[in-house]
Amino acid sequence: MRRTLSREELERIIKICENVERMGLDPFTVNIRELLAKLRRMLEENPELEYYVVDAETLYRIASLIAFQHKWIEEKARSLFIDSQMVSTRVAALDKKALAQAFLKAWRPIVYLEQLTPQRLRQGLDHFLSLPPRPEGREYGWRLSEREYRLAEAAERLESEIMAEKVRRLHEELLEKAGEGGEVDYWEFVKGRDFEETFERAYITSFLITEGYAEVRRNPLKGEIKLIPNKGKAERKAPTSLVIPVEVRRDE
Amino acid sequence: MTRKLMIAAAMLLFASHRRPGVRGWELKHRLGKNYMKVIDILNSRLSQLGLRIKTVFEEEGEENLDRARFYVTLAHPLTMSDLVTAGWRIDEVAALAAALSVISSRGGKAPLRDVLEVLETKFPKWKAEAYLERAVRRGYINKTDDDILTIGWRTRVELDQKTLLKAVLEAQPQEKEEQKEE
Repeated sequence: MRRTLSREELERIIKICENVERMGLDPFTVNIRELLAKLRRMLEENPELEYYVVDAETLYRIASLIAFQHKWIEEKARSLFIDSQMVSTRVAALDKKALAQAFLKAWRPIVYLEQLTPQRLRQGLDHFLSLPPRPEGREYGWRLSEREYRLAEAAERLESEIMAEKVRRLHEELLEKAGEGGEVDYWEFVKGRDFEETFERAYITSFLITEGYAEVRRNPLKGEIKLIPNKGKAERKAPTSLVIPVEVRRDE
Repeated sequence: MTRKLMIAAAMLLFASHRRPGVRGWELKHRLGKNYMKVIDILNSRLSQLGLRIKTVFEEEGEENLDRARFYVTLAHPLTMSDLVTAGWRIDEVAALAAALSVISSRGGKAPLRDVLEVLETKFPKWKAEAYLERAVRRGYINKTDDDILTIGWRTRVELDQKTLLKAVLEAQPQEKEEQKEE
């Protein structure tokens, strides 16, 4: 029971020393001589290792407090031994205007500007212009340059010319296979040497039908789809959509 | 030299960081190793305009100029009307003076509770707290997590703490003085 009390006593001393230092209180309010005498007495009463550890920490805290006392005296000497209590009392007695005037006597505010100068603006522009383009290229939404615009336009034109040529050739082939007023089975017509070709022919055939170069006749009972070519471009009055899925067999 | 003076003036007057002021090593980088000569000449030129260059070392007692910060401050005190024109409220300056006097007289550290207690003799609690909060934001006072107030970086630059304490102790209440004059 007594041992527990001694330990608590030591912890209390550590706490006092810590608080004085942390909160900047007057370190001379603590009686160091008395604390050391108490520590010696407790140490003699409890000669055990575990106790020595707490005791050593307490001694360290008291030493820190003595160092703080030294610093405190230095601070006081530097501030011409002005007592904090006296300052607090004086502050409480003065009115706001007197306090503000006292502050003005000691205050020399910093002078600086935060605004942008034309020189800084020029530097910023030079820096921006010297930045390299981003590695992933231009992001969507950026304005194209004249050259990029012309290149994109040329590429699009070339692509549509190639497509028109493919449509024309397939139309001629369809006319040839169907003969005068005849018809051709859709699957026989679109079938190519491999899947890629079959897919491409089906894709171009869809353009033939949409543009009016061919008609589609579907027999749902037999599951047949026939293509009937038009010599020219027929006008679509009531166009409807027809989905023909192109299947891929595993062996292909 | 004229060019170097221009560079030094631009560096010191235009805030390029969040805080105003320039480090010694930054000046050395732009002005060369004899940068202190440039600073001295600039200081004498600025004094003609009522300004001065103030050097604040990182820690007290330290003399490493490269680590120090250089600021341009006013060389002479402002008047009360200058203060009002600059947008400060007398109440706020009074609160700042009171708080800094208490902290300074206690060796640069004081519990928030004690400072508030002094401020509450003049202002309602909410106002005293607001003024302290603003002083912390402006860098005049530092506040630790366990509510201990210390002297902030701006106070170290702008305020002569000894002069403030002396002025507070010597000051006479304005109302009494006005009565005497009458």
